[in-house]
Amino acid sequence: MYNPKDIIDLIADNVKKTRSPFGIPKFMANTWWKNASVARDGEALLFTGLMYQFVPYIDTTTHYLERYEDTGWANYLHYTKYLPKLISGTGLALMTSGKEKKRSGRILQDIVKILTKSNVDFGYKPELDDYSGILLYDLGDQDGFVRHAENVAANLKSAGIQKVITVDPHTTYALKVLYPRYTGKSFEVKTYFELIDFSSHNGSRRVTLHDPCFYGRYLELSDVPQKILGKLDIECVNVRNSGEFTNCCGGPAESISPKLSKEVLGRRVEELQSTGYPIIAMCPICLANLRKAGAQVEDLSSLIGRYI
Amino acid sequence: MTLIHHDFADQMDRFGGNTALECFNCGTCAAICPLIYEHFPRKMIRYLQLGAKDRILENAKELWRCLHCGLCSRTCPREADPGEVILGLKRYVVANWRKS
Repeated sequence: MYNPKDIIDLIADNVKKTRSPFGIPKFMANTWWKNASVARDGEALLFTGLMYQFVPYIDTTTHYLERYEDTGWANYLHYTKYLPKLISGTGLALMTSGKEKKRSGRILQDIVKILTKSNVDFGYKPELDDYSGILLYDLGDQDGFVRHAENVAANLKSAGIQKVITVDPHTTYALKVLYPRYTGKSFEVKTYFELIDFSSHNGSRRVTLHDPCFYGRYLELSDVPQKILGKLDIECVNVRNSGEFTNCCGGPAESISPKLSKEVLGRRVEELQSTGYPIIAMCPICLANLRKAGAQVEDLSSLIGRYI
Repeated sequence: MTLIHHDFADQMDRFGGNTALECFNCGTCAAICPLIYEHFPRKMIRYLQLGAKDRILENAKELWRCLHCGLCSRTCPREADPGEVILGLKRYVVANWRKS
């Protein structure tokens, strides 16, 4: 286990100076929209919160954290915050596979196709799409989270944004629950799958849904993807711990202790694989973590995207 | 031996962990927690109830094992919200680190 203080100080410093928990400049991390057919203006703003874009960088970071956890090298993590952000962020970007960056981008491109097919009036403005700060909240850096959230909310409000479409559970929770509570600024927040409005009957199949904690428990949205998949003749085979009683994949612990994260992940994967059907994830953290365990898993948007 | 701070639970108000006194230590949270780690989070909540501030600070690292998955809060029979109490303690410890 790493010293939580070192991890929190590093992430807080990165967010403060670069608005990204990994110190990656936004113009390097957020490029998916360049290959997507998406309008700038619309009644609602597509707000990704950059979580899917960060997945390849999380993978790279975790790979190294895993290697040095509980070794003497772990004590040097403290000093990385003194590295200039441009150097550490660019270094991480160069160490991260381009193939993985494209794979994450495709998920967001699929979401755009799904929303378009559902006739949703939406637009995307990369300059307004920011990280929500949720990791700072989860790690207990309340001041850092509120400071960052106030900034993001103010940007959205000054651009006249009222309606927001989100793509992952953590950003959804931040914008829907935490921003009104801690910044005093509210938005009408919907996840992309709540707006899906089409059906398809191309033969039935079965999948196992892994409900992320924030959709299943905190936001109580688990029934929505099940209904959507039902309209595509896809049956969801539930595991014992699902919906509001879903089990965590271990992802939130991967920065502090990759070992602990792996332990929790192993138990969840075993449970999900017991059905024998492919696993569907709805959260970038869960998706990356389940992939790491070698599970046959894909994102909900990739599955639905094939039915367009 | 540890020093007891009778007002510790009140001090926690500003960090959002103010439901700890609802807990009657049944251990449902520890039984349901996906970490399956000793008596987590029950032990930490007990320290808070007792005002054993130093014990919390000595074992602070343990708080970050918590995944903030919310399963303990969903199943707590006293609605003591153990997940949020742990988050409140993390905030308290972070504020303490920053102050020192």
